Amino acid sequence: MNLVMPKPSSDTPQLHTTAVIPSRSFAANQAALDALVTDLRATRERCSKGPDAARDRHVARGKLLPRDRVEALLDPGSPFLELSPMAAYGMYDGEAPGAGIITGIGRVAGRLVMVVANDATVKGGTYYPITVKKHLRAQEIARENRLPCIYLVDSGGAFLPEQDDVFPDRDHFGRIFFNQANMSAAGIAQLAAVLGSCTAGGAYVPAMSDEAVIVANQGTIFLGGPPLVKAATGEVVTAEDLGGGALHARTSGVIDHLADDDRHALSIMRAIVDTLADDPTEAGVAPTEEPTMATGDLHGVVSADSRYPYDAREIIGRIVDGSRFQEFKSEYGTTLVSGFARIYGRRVGIVANNGVLFGESATKGAHFVELCDQRGIPLVFLQNITGFMVGRDYEAAGIAKHGAKMVTAVACARVPKLTVIVGGSFGAGNYSMCGRAYSPRFLWMWPNARISVMGGDQAAAVLATVRRDQIEGRGGTWSNEAEQEFTGPIKAQYEQQGHAYYSTARLWDDGVIEPNDTRKVLGLALEVVNRTPLSPISNGIFRM
Amino acid sequence: MFSTVLVANRGEIAVRIMRTLRRLGIGSVAVYSDADAGARHVREADVAVAIGPASAHESYLSVDRILQAALRVGADALHPGYGFLAENAQLAEACRAAGIAFIGPPAAAMLAMGDKIESKRMVAAVGVPVVPGVDGRGLRDADIIDAARTLGFPILIKPSAGGGGKGMRLVHDAAQLPAELAAARRESMGAFGDDALLLERYLERPRHIEIQIAADAFGDVVHLGERECSLQRRHQKIIEEAPSPFVTPALRHAMGLQAIAVARACGYVNLGTVEFIVPNDATGEFFFMEMNTRLQVEHPVTEMVCGLDLVELQLRLATGERLADQALPVQADGHAIEARVYAEDPHHGFLPTGGTILSLREPVGPGVRVDSGVQTGSVVGSHYDPMLAKVIAHGRTRPEAIARLDMALANYPILGVPTNIAHLRSLLRDPYVVEGRLDTTLVERLIGNVAVSPIDPAALAAATLITAHADRRSTSGSAWESSFGWRHGGASPASFRLRIDHDRVTVTTARYVDPTWLVSIDGAPESAAAIEWDQDRLRCRYGDTTATFDAAMATDDSLWIGLGGQTWHVSSIGISRAERSEQAGSAGPVLSPMPGTLLAVHVTQGDTVIAGEALAIVEAMKMEHIVRATGPGVITVVHASVGQQLQMFQPILTVEPTKGTEP
Repeated sequence: MNLVMPKPSSDTPQLHTTAVIPSRSFAANQAALDALVTDLRATRERCSKGPDAARDRHVARGKLLPRDRVEALLDPGSPFLELSPMAAYGMYDGEAPGAGIITGIGRVAGRLVMVVANDATVKGGTYYPITVKKHLRAQEIARENRLPCIYLVDSGGAFLPEQDDVFPDRDHFGRIFFNQANMSAAGIAQLAAVLGSCTAGGAYVPAMSDEAVIVANQGTIFLGGPPLVKAATGEVVTAEDLGGGALHARTSGVIDHLADDDRHALSIMRAIVDTLADDPTEAGVAPTEEPTMATGDLHGVVSADSRYPYDAREIIGRIVDGSRFQEFKSEYGTTLVSGFARIYGRRVGIVANNGVLFGESATKGAHFVELCDQRGIPLVFLQNITGFMVGRDYEAAGIAKHGAKMVTAVACARVPKLTVIVGGSFGAGNYSMCGRAYSPRFLWMWPNARISVMGGDQAAAVLATVRRDQIEGRGGTWSNEAEQEFTGPIKAQYEQQGHAYYSTARLWDDGVIEPNDTRKVLGLALEVVNRTPLSPISNGIFRM
Repeated sequence: MFSTVLVANRGEIAVRIMRTLRRLGIGSVAVYSDADAGARHVREADVAVAIGPASAHESYLSVDRILQAALRVGADALHPGYGFLAENAQLAEACRAAGIAFIGPPAAAMLAMGDKIESKRMVAAVGVPVVPGVDGRGLRDADIIDAARTLGFPILIKPSAGGGGKGMRLVHDAAQLPAELAAARRESMGAFGDDALLLERYLERPRHIEIQIAADAFGDVVHLGERECSLQRRHQKIIEEAPSPFVTPALRHAMGLQAIAVARACGYVNLGTVEFIVPNDATGEFFFMEMNTRLQVEHPVTEMVCGLDLVELQLRLATGERLADQALPVQADGHAIEARVYAEDPHHGFLPTGGTILSLREPVGPGVRVDSGVQTGSVVGSHYDPMLAKVIAHGRTRPEAIARLDMALANYPILGVPTNIAHLRSLLRDPYVVEGRLDTTLVERLIGNVAVSPIDPAALAAATLITAHADRRSTSGSAWESSFGWRHGGASPASFRLRIDHDRVTVTTARYVDPTWLVSIDGAPESAAAIEWDQDRLRCRYGDTTATFDAAMATDDSLWIGLGGQTWHVSSIGISRAERSEQAGSAGPVLSPMPGTLLAVHVTQGDTVIAGEALAIVEAMKMEHIVRATGPGVITVVHASVGQQLQMFQPILTVEPTKGTEP
């Protein structure tokens, strides 16, 4: 931070003014340029915002004005190097001040970012040709200078009367998403906060982002709005039900974070930026902070009876620095908990089980693993998994292919992976949660952990069903006593072979650790695994 | 003289005892619990021995562990300080048995004075006055009433079996006595199953005055004058002085003789204190309360007016020296007054505080002494007494001593842990205190006067600039660092929400118009502000005022500011996600977390629930999932019934959130 500029060498010649001060020409020049600057300020001021009526309506809806959004996003006191503030000046009959979009470079969470904010008070934030050009120029600067992009979305999409200059050509609307995909591929974070409409093509801004936030009961995302839907299919639906925050955060999974209002959304956005991979110039290791949750209580919060679930955050809060956890997609696929944290000052992405895996939890897991891989952040898996949800509906919905996405992401992630089995490790759950076969750099077990292809009770039940079907198929009968005699040894076998000690004896893990040592062990390991440079990102096919 | 003394204590008294040991060339041994591994008394000892976990019962109160430590280091004497085991006869006896000198009285004297009722009986037997009373055990009410007439009113009736003030009644005149007696018997019977009563003359607004005595092993006993300790809060002394502004030479002489008589009655050796309760009406009466068989917390005021080191005197008496060979003063020199600095918050019911002391500067000056157990970096926890230090001032006269103490407290910034220093200063300036009109209820009566002193605006401006990192920006060569709030054509103000101490929140803004910072507080017009660090002092110019504060940054970048004994803790707060969720409450239906069977519903429509309360159980995949309330509210609808199959996210019931009160 202490970048002291080198003093100019004394050999460097210095310049001196030749102007005559005071003089009449000096005074005249000064007056002329002063006037120009005064005019510039006034003009820029006029270009800085939409008409008062639109601003009043905007505020009346509980929304922050676009410049206030930018202020709330930036670090307090951050400079803001605004780009082309007078775009579209003198064009479109003066109806698009600033081209209806604010772009510029500022600091968020201590790092430089590119901000692209729609101004919904200017023609609903629709894209005029110059709006597209300004948006693309901001992306170009971000790409050339590796600036994470933050899109504050509040736009009705293309300005339809000008569609021929907005839609079809190479450097038109579609290029925005082309850029997002390619910057994301280059490791330049693409982040979106949906603070209003996000219609048609615009829906792809959050959808193509690495992480996205939406304001509940305010932001909407849909490919076709309610009028178009009604025209196309006759379906009558409200905007909120069609593409509101709750829908996208809980059901569709298009959005990762649900916010209460603009300020909350921007505060989440700042927290997301804080999780990005470090600038190459930064060391990336923050000062260590002890967890604030009572670490001594860990034994007491872990359910002794595996039939009674407990919240994995009870573990996470006791192993991460300051018990701080920036959760990803907390509203979606809730049986998997994912999020960013630090352990002994080092960033980690944590994936933990809060129940069986559904298709949603699995795709969420795949997305999160990809984020960590993209950002170069090591992964910690806290495994306590009985498996994937079973049943006809789930098979029909393709739970196998969703599970495969997570397994693919885990298998191909090049970042270091650390696994701690804190409870059950059964079946395909083991694969998606980075079991031994998925080459975690280290894998530990807690003494209460169990590992086998399925739980002993389930195995006994499955085999008993098969046997009963055989016997009854032959016209025989099978008493409950006989069944219990049959299942007893099976359960005993699973209990013995699934035990943590049985596992560690055969080197299925790198040791059984005391739960209270988990933070320490992970901290030590993170220093070890960070020493290898990462290979380029590559993934297998994600079956869609 | 001893060669090695183990100090079986912690905090300021351990440090103070070791100071004398060092001066006398005696080796000092500290003991410490796990919580005190980095404490000041450990650092100042020659040797320190760990004696167990933080819990006092397993460390400082463990006779075994203390004795083991003394034997291990080969200590030939043990000083118990005050509190903990200082009046524990078992330790004194164990020391004697182990051949270690216990610096204090014989175990027998300790035991004799340890029982507060027996000791009164014992001293009364040798003619020492005790508060007049009647033991009503076995007496009829009529006899009690007769006996009571000789006591004088008001009278306090106490259940014989009681304690802690339970069932006590105050009777102001004789006419009320029969009725009150009957009521007291009933109440005592109900509470304790015993209706025996004690009656005692009640002293209104009395003084607490105590006599320091010294006794050698040859039967010689002297007194070293009195200390007045009437300024107390809940029986906890706060400010003590010597001599008492109330005690005349004649009264001192009379009290001294009785104190000596008490010491003789129990065969006392070494230093001790005889505490008297003294009516405030200058009748010359005084009554024995108890004897403290140890060094007192407030011993320094006696030291300062006597020119003595009482710890040294204790050591000499313990080695068998005679009082006659000690240079004892004939009469007190000037006046001394002591204030106890506690880690407690006068603005929140004097609750104990804690934390890490970020910065601390002890006052110096003529006649000023500080006995402290803490230093910069000390961690103040909740395991032990919250007293951090004592400040003692000596002057030729009482006003001079008070003025010196007040100045010393004003110049004693302790940052990082809230203390009672401002409260002590307000007491020292109270007219009753200034005029010496003291009694044991005065502090409680004045507590309503403890005002929250508003933070100095310059301190808020300083905190704003610190939060804006204004002090670090000027040295940075980075344009991004130094161009605070830069925009095309101007600078944008940054807005901060600052929390002052626990509760007050202020909004300030900072704007940088090269080369000047402009700060606005609570919407007031902007004024120019500048800050400059001078080691642990922070100078702030705000408008046309310049103030210099003691200041320290905590690890969380919050700022502690001290001025004249006041301290403020200022931190910047943003809107955290947790804070938002709390405000948002738990609107909407409570949904099933899994597809499964509704096993139980614990609530019905109209029930009030609290955050985290279990509402229902859903069984799925052989697991029982408990559905909990996310915030406080009232159950308005129950949508599902027990046994019903639920889809994922199917509503089970609806909670109408209780409207939270925003801070």
